[in-house]
Amino acid sequence: MDLATAFSRATRGLRDDLRLHVVAVASLVIAFLCLGGALLAVANLAHMSTRWGQERSVSIYLKDSAKEADVAQLRLVLESVDDVAGAVFVSAEQAREQFAAQADLGIPMEALPQEAFPASVELTLRKGASDERVASLAQRLASFAAVETVETYQSLFGRMASLVAAGRSAALGLALLVIVCVIAVVGNTIRLAVAGRRQEIEVLKLCGATDGFVRGPFVVEGALQSTAAALLSVLLLVGSYSLLHGRVDATLSSLVGVSTVFMHPMWLVAIVVGGACIGALGSMLSLRRYLAV
Amino acid sequence: MAKVRAGADSNVVRRPKAYFRNKGRVDTGGGPKPMLQLEEVYKYFRRDVPTLRNVNLTVERGEFVFVTGPSGSGKSTLLQLIYRKHTVDGGRILFAGRDVARLTDESIPFLRRNLGVVFQDFKVIPYWTAYENVAVSLEIIGMQPRLARSRVADALERVGLAGRGGERAGTFSGGEQQRIAIARAIVTEPALILADEPTGNLDPQLAIDILTLFEEIHEAGTTVMFATHDHTLLQAAPHRLIVIDDGRLIEASQGLRAWSARTEHMLA
Repeated sequence: MDLATAFSRATRGLRDDLRLHVVAVASLVIAFLCLGGALLAVANLAHMSTRWGQERSVSIYLKDSAKEADVAQLRLVLESVDDVAGAVFVSAEQAREQFAAQADLGIPMEALPQEAFPASVELTLRKGASDERVASLAQRLASFAAVETVETYQSLFGRMASLVAAGRSAALGLALLVIVCVIAVVGNTIRLAVAGRRQEIEVLKLCGATDGFVRGPFVVEGALQSTAAALLSVLLLVGSYSLLHGRVDATLSSLVGVSTVFMHPMWLVAIVVGGACIGALGSMLSLRRYLAV
Repeated sequence: MAKVRAGADSNVVRRPKAYFRNKGRVDTGGGPKPMLQLEEVYKYFRRDVPTLRNVNLTVERGEFVFVTGPSGSGKSTLLQLIYRKHTVDGGRILFAGRDVARLTDESIPFLRRNLGVVFQDFKVIPYWTAYENVAVSLEIIGMQPRLARSRVADALERVGLAGRGGERAGTFSGGEQQRIAIARAIVTEPALILADEPTGNLDPQLAIDILTLFEEIHEAGTTVMFATHDHTLLQAAPHRLIVIDDGRLIEASQGLRAWSARTEHMLA
């Protein structure tokens, strides 16, 4: 049997069992949405990690008692360090203003202690600065008289990397769960369809239909069902992202310095194509078990 | 006495898949081989009681054969062995010279494409249209839809349902549903039509109408085996009569009304 015949017979089957298939597609949409949501979260975590890694910075917090000459000497030294791409002096007053602009704590700024915002030198490092070199630089800078502490954010990067890895593992686990779920839902739908079309199958066999002719449309039905669900979930995901990202971006960028991203289009294609394949697989497994032709 | 096989298919010699493919058609012309030959056929559903025992039968091309006998005598089993719903336990069945029992599972569909089978319970799909019910046979053999449309229209016309192809089969009367089933059986122009009590669910007048329809199909050159225990039908048409009782084919002769009368006590 050619694919066109299988497709035409499958669409007839979908038409005949429309309600059953609509319920199945609705269940599958939820499963695919969970997977898509998880992938979106991983994509954003990875993006955040990459951005932070690319724009690696070091904050040198200065003592309140630091003299201008000491600060000038420090800046002079920083200019000669290869890994440093730029150094910006931020006074205590500027730090306070920046904080006020980014955060809305719901309390008057005057209530915050003056020493909460020390003056600092914000370093932007060149790409490729290794953790070891950054640690060594931090050690050197800490020995300067004007320096209170040096924050390299290494522990934050470490936590971020762990978070991305955990997110990826969770997404992988969820993907496996979705595969099992899709196979189960499609398999059961096809099982019900087979049970409902016993007479049809019998007639086909008596008229000389091969096993492939009988099974083919059910496999296509499973694939179509799953593809429709995957496509719908992708559209819902894109629609929801388009509606919400504008609102989320402002808050997120003030908190973590990066805005949201949507997953790569290839991931969307993978969800739809993968969905079709898993649907077909679920259908085949069900037919192996429940359709003795 | 033929040797009885222990397992239905265990000793079957495997044949190539293409055994019955041969472009999907059996030569229906007047070749030397009979359309159907049953040689010492045995079938057991219970080990100690054969459903069919030592059945020998030859059906020539273009014949119309009544198969009759009391309920449970083995008429349906005989037909089921021919279209390979079951496999013989002894002997052999040659369809157009080929042993049906030796077909591989993959070849059975190609055997069935050369047969038209009609049942007592019609076996039409009620939620399909009459057209779809008939066209399915052509879809299976991969006929182009354009050609299939005209073949289905012809078949529906032959069974008296011209112009009603678009109606759902479930809305048709019993007699009309059987006509759809007959159209489905003849649309592929099979070499042999097996009718298993096709009038069993119909009133006497409709039964005669359906028999007439089969006779028209037969007149067009198709071989027909018509199983029935309806004595009225046997008397209405002078065709060869085969009687099966208790699994034995006890008589076979050319259409004798008298024959039917002599076996009347068995048909009651």
